[in-house]
Amino acid sequence: MKKNIRLLVIVGLIVLFATSLTYFDSFLYHDPVVKVENVAITSKQTSTDEYKNTDTEYTQKVRAKLLNTDKRGQTVSFRNTYYNSQLTDTKYRVGQQVILTKSGKGYAAKNVKRDTPLVFTFGLVIFLLYCMKFDRRKLFISVLINVVIYFGYLQIIIGTHNSILLPLTAVTALLISATALLVILGPTYSALMAYSSTVISTTIAILLSVFVLSMTGYSGMHLELDDFELQPYLGVFLSQVLFGVLGVILDETMDISSSLIEMKKEVTDVSAKTLFKSGINIGRELIGPLINILLFIVIAGNLNVVLLYLSNGNSVSYTLNMTLSLGIAQLLISAIGIVLTVPITSFISSKVITRR
Amino acid sequence: MLYLFATFVVLLLMVTGTRGLTLLFGLGINVISVIALLVLIADGFNILVTTGIIAIVILVVAIYMNVENGNTANTAFQTSLLIMIFILLITIPLEYWASAQGMGPENQDELESFSLAAGISFPQLAIAIIVINSLGVISETSVAITSGLNEIVSNKPTLTPTEIFNDGFSVGNKILNTQTNTLLFNFFSATFPLFFLIHSLGYKFTDILNDKLVVAEILTTLICTIGVILTVPITSFLVYHKANKVKLRKTDN
Repeated sequence: MKKNIRLLVIVGLIVLFATSLTYFDSFLYHDPVVKVENVAITSKQTSTDEYKNTDTEYTQKVRAKLLNTDKRGQTVSFRNTYYNSQLTDTKYRVGQQVILTKSGKGYAAKNVKRDTPLVFTFGLVIFLLYCMKFDRRKLFISVLINVVIYFGYLQIIIGTHNSILLPLTAVTALLISATALLVILGPTYSALMAYSSTVISTTIAILLSVFVLSMTGYSGMHLELDDFELQPYLGVFLSQVLFGVLGVILDETMDISSSLIEMKKEVTDVSAKTLFKSGINIGRELIGPLINILLFIVIAGNLNVVLLYLSNGNSVSYTLNMTLSLGIAQLLISAIGIVLTVPITSFISSKVITRR
Repeated sequence: MLYLFATFVVLLLMVTGTRGLTLLFGLGINVISVIALLVLIADGFNILVTTGIIAIVILVVAIYMNVENGNTANTAFQTSLLIMIFILLITIPLEYWASAQGMGPENQDELESFSLAAGISFPQLAIAIIVINSLGVISETSVAITSGLNEIVSNKPTLTPTEIFNDGFSVGNKILNTQTNTLLFNFFSATFPLFFLIHSLGYKFTDILNDKLVVAEILTTLICTIGVILTVPITSFLVYHKANKVKLRKTDN
């Protein structure tokens, strides 16, 4: 127990140290960084636009102390305009660190310095993990390997200018799901079963969906409205679907196959047919919650755009059509994958288990 | 799209039989709740209050419609409610600190034809986004851990709090791993177009580290992970508490 507390104190101190380090790291920045010392609102204008949205535009005069460059310690001031709703602009507050750019003789605000809260939140996760008796090693290893693979993936898509995006995503998906399974289940039969089920179900779901969608020429889907209108539209969309659904399908295949292995251990002479049926029964209960997970993640990801459309006087149906059509298509393909995984995993597992 | 939906429904009914209708009904309620949330926020209702209320409705539907055992459902619901409140409590200061609301300079092209004076508090919306993002993950995690733990506890004659917590962590390990994977892969899904764009804009490392959209995505993933982590001790505590109550009642008789 004493040892645990000592470890916890050490981890806590490291987190605090790392967080405070980012608070004083402005010397690493090429751009001037300032700490806001005084803010005064110089003008304020409330207006109502054509869609009856009332918003207030403020101009603030910010006085701040330079934290880096050769003029360190000097006070500079700049103006900043923002709407009360702060969609793309930011209200600066006293004590905040802000990154500036030179504009002419003066300075203009470029961005809020956000690395301190980022590192703090990351540290909080680590600290909480050390507070509890989780098997941290496995988690760290799998996250680390997957992040490295993702980094490599990014480097290659950037290097190839997105030209082989989809095949690359498929390879990456194969790699990250293999890593996840190997770390969680180890090099076992059940990992191999879960892996083959995951690969087969995901592939069938995506091929089937693409076939169904292409029958109608992707009508009703605004593929061109993907994130940042990145091309190739279909490749980007399918890559996002693949990454999004992979985690839940892995979860599902692991659950079904390991339950069936348990069952075989308890009843040694169980038939493949009985195993298949129980697999379907177990999987049935998983479908709803897993679709829910993706439903909320997809909707949350589009919330800003949806509200921008709605507040600009667009009808609910037009808004949903323009902003969520891709999300809903993503969700439907994922849901098809989640449903297909149940019989596919049950079938593969029941055959493999009874034969062994 | 309609064909895609039809394909989904047919497959669902083939695999799950009549249970599929309940599932569709539950999903339908969740979708309607979310649309109601969007319309209410756009109409100017307080974002945090509306999100809180709708989130509770969603949790009720997600848990009680998917879990048949009443005892498990109650514990899972209490857990997810506590986690949601906790997430709200840590997200409010973190979002305030990071000012990672709304959209970034990368969205410029999309925003051209819009009036940016939307009259909606995007800092509050940023908090709502994280809460909504976490709902599915949290309800799934709490149900999985509660049912796993209840099964272990019901087979044991004596209970000490340490034992229950240890059991909770042994059940929780795998769930933590799988949920972290789901969150991480969804982070990959959401950010690869962003990172591609950022590269073509020639950002430096420090620019990326402080970029509004990047920070918002990372914060979302991390805060949801915190929710998953906390599910284990909270569920263990509730299960212990309940099991103890049942035992006390038995000895009284």
